[in-house]
Amino acid sequence: MNGALLVQTAIDGLILGGIFSISAVGFSLVFGVLGIVNLAHGMFVLLGAYAALVLKHQFGIDPFFSLLPSFIVLFLIGLLLETSLLSGAVRRGSLMTTLLITFGASLILKDLVVLLIGPDIHTLDSTWTLPTVHVGSVVIDGNRATGLIASLVLLAVLSIVLAKFKIGRAIRATAQETFAASLCGVDSRRIYALTFAVSAGFAGASGVIVGIINPFSPTDDAFWTLNAFVTVVLGGIGNPLGSLVGGLLLGQISTFSSQYVGSVFPNIFMFCALLLMLIWRPHGLLGSSFRGSV
Amino acid sequence: MGRSITRRSVLRTAGLATAVPLFNISRGKAADKVIHFGGSLGMSGRYGETGLNVRMGYEAAIKFFNEALGGAEIGGKKYQLELGIIDDASDPGRATTLIQRQLDDGIDFFLGSYGSNIVLPSAAITEQAGKVTVQVGGSADQIFTQGFKRTFGFFPRATRAWDTSVSFFKALSPKPATISIVATNDAFSKGNAEGAARVCKENGFEVLDIIQLPATVTDASSALATIRSRSPDILITTTVDQNSLVIARQMISTDTNVKLLYQFLGPQLPLFRQTFGPKATGIVGQLYWDEGLKVTDPFFGTTKNYIEFYNAHFSRPISYHTVGASACITTYVKAMQKAGSLNPDAVRDALASTDLETVFGRVKFSPEGDGDAIVMGAKIGQVQGGAFEIVSPADSKTADVIYPTRKWSDKI
Repeated sequence: MNGALLVQTAIDGLILGGIFSISAVGFSLVFGVLGIVNLAHGMFVLLGAYAALVLKHQFGIDPFFSLLPSFIVLFLIGLLLETSLLSGAVRRGSLMTTLLITFGASLILKDLVVLLIGPDIHTLDSTWTLPTVHVGSVVIDGNRATGLIASLVLLAVLSIVLAKFKIGRAIRATAQETFAASLCGVDSRRIYALTFAVSAGFAGASGVIVGIINPFSPTDDAFWTLNAFVTVVLGGIGNPLGSLVGGLLLGQISTFSSQYVGSVFPNIFMFCALLLMLIWRPHGLLGSSFRGSV
Repeated sequence: MGRSITRRSVLRTAGLATAVPLFNISRGKAADKVIHFGGSLGMSGRYGETGLNVRMGYEAAIKFFNEALGGAEIGGKKYQLELGIIDDASDPGRATTLIQRQLDDGIDFFLGSYGSNIVLPSAAITEQAGKVTVQVGGSADQIFTQGFKRTFGFFPRATRAWDTSVSFFKALSPKPATISIVATNDAFSKGNAEGAARVCKENGFEVLDIIQLPATVTDASSALATIRSRSPDILITTTVDQNSLVIARQMISTDTNVKLLYQFLGPQLPLFRQTFGPKATGIVGQLYWDEGLKVTDPFFGTTKNYIEFYNAHFSRPISYHTVGASACITTYVKAMQKAGSLNPDAVRDALASTDLETVFGRVKFSPEGDGDAIVMGAKIGQVQGGAFEIVSPADSKTADVIYPTRKWSDKI
């Protein structure tokens, strides 16, 4: 086995995993707190990229400086979606209804993008990405390494919010035991709305990074939703660290299977990993971070 | 004694009363003198971008015939042309349902969708119904090896698309020796890759690798690691535009350099070249149409006339898909004129014997219905200064080829 190729594959996997982690950030939170699989998550990611695209074309703003505006735009979209459509289904605990609503929302959002912006493929270019680095015969893709670093930063921010801020404690309390949290004065409906909005915001911010790394078009949403789902199942629910671990693991599976089995096989291995994890550790490697003591 | 009124007589009378107007309605389509073109097109979904380019071409031609020429004259009668293209969302299942519905509505003439995975099942349905399809969206071998007699395509089938390209490789100096191919796991790309590999080997090139990626490419890092370790002189990608973009983008960011990058689809599009700016210089691809083409279309006249008409009515940038789509309509109308009727069988026979100069270039079909490999074979284009210049064959070239191309880091 070629040592340099092994190292290259591992590094490519880490970097790819960073992209998977970043795209799963918000999905994990919604899954853990609201208990819903947000099928519109991929569209939220893409909308973040499109928001950065519009800001770049209209105002010449570098995509990296669109992270916060994209977060805000998607926060508001998420808040609107949750309060207007999802809140009733969440209260009733109807999983099927939430799936249908989020699926319908993704279709509507996709068609709106096609209508307003068009079906064309777009890219985001930023002058703030890292340069490509050569370490011996190993190449570190600067563009994608930037994605890994951004992923770590966003995940760190979310972790700090959940751990240190009052809103974070309220989110965790609601996820662990909603009734007990409400007895302590936490308004669960408000927390659900805020959690969904924060999740959408983080998805939008991650979309800016995704758009810098890969070309994007309105049809890519399913890929990002699916990857987020697999990442969360592998890593664990509700925990930003779980998203990171799951994403990095997924990245390694993808690159190693591609390099040493066949470049057409990564998806098969990723889904096999998903199945194995569901059988072996259904709550993921780090478990659900919201499982409180009974 | 009068006839008794029975239930049977009432039903018979009602049936006749309904059938006669219906008969007149179907005859009325011809009486209205409108030729309906049916078909589906991916105007959203995976092929949305190219689908929209194709639709613009159809619309431009239809508009020209109806408004500039007052209709198409066939068999001594003037006909308005009507486009009945429906969005199939780049989904083969939806496309076949839509096509079947149009067949049930009595459409005789179809324009193809974009994407071999959609054109193939759609063509199977129209073929079985005895209708005609002319398309500019699919060139996978499978479309033309099923024994279809009524399906015509504007490009040579995938495995026949490489003769001109390999001739171009052989003429490069210093002569390249090794080639690697990257394809995706779909009918079009795989067939293309197989054709490329076969023709390259037949002409003395060593094919180092044929690397197959998933149908939608989001990461090509493993493939590019292999390319860097193997160092082929030429890297060919037989991928669709979006996948070509991802691969080229990752080649730049991983500093994966080859002497020549040949992307079957991608560099032809202005958006592709704009995305990469100066980094795109040197990328080579097949070129089916060029603004400088000196042709005389029987209806549009010169290429310049066509471009002026198109730009006066449509804002979307012109692409070779657009021009090819317009030429589909031209070819159809010319075949109908030759047949002197709108009978699908007669039009089919006229299409099969077509040898015609259009705004897209010369149109001639092989016996199996794909574009004649010599007549409709591609030229080779290379991105130079943001434009896509013709570098081969020698009698058509607009610029000399840049070979070997500079490293990505040197292209500023």
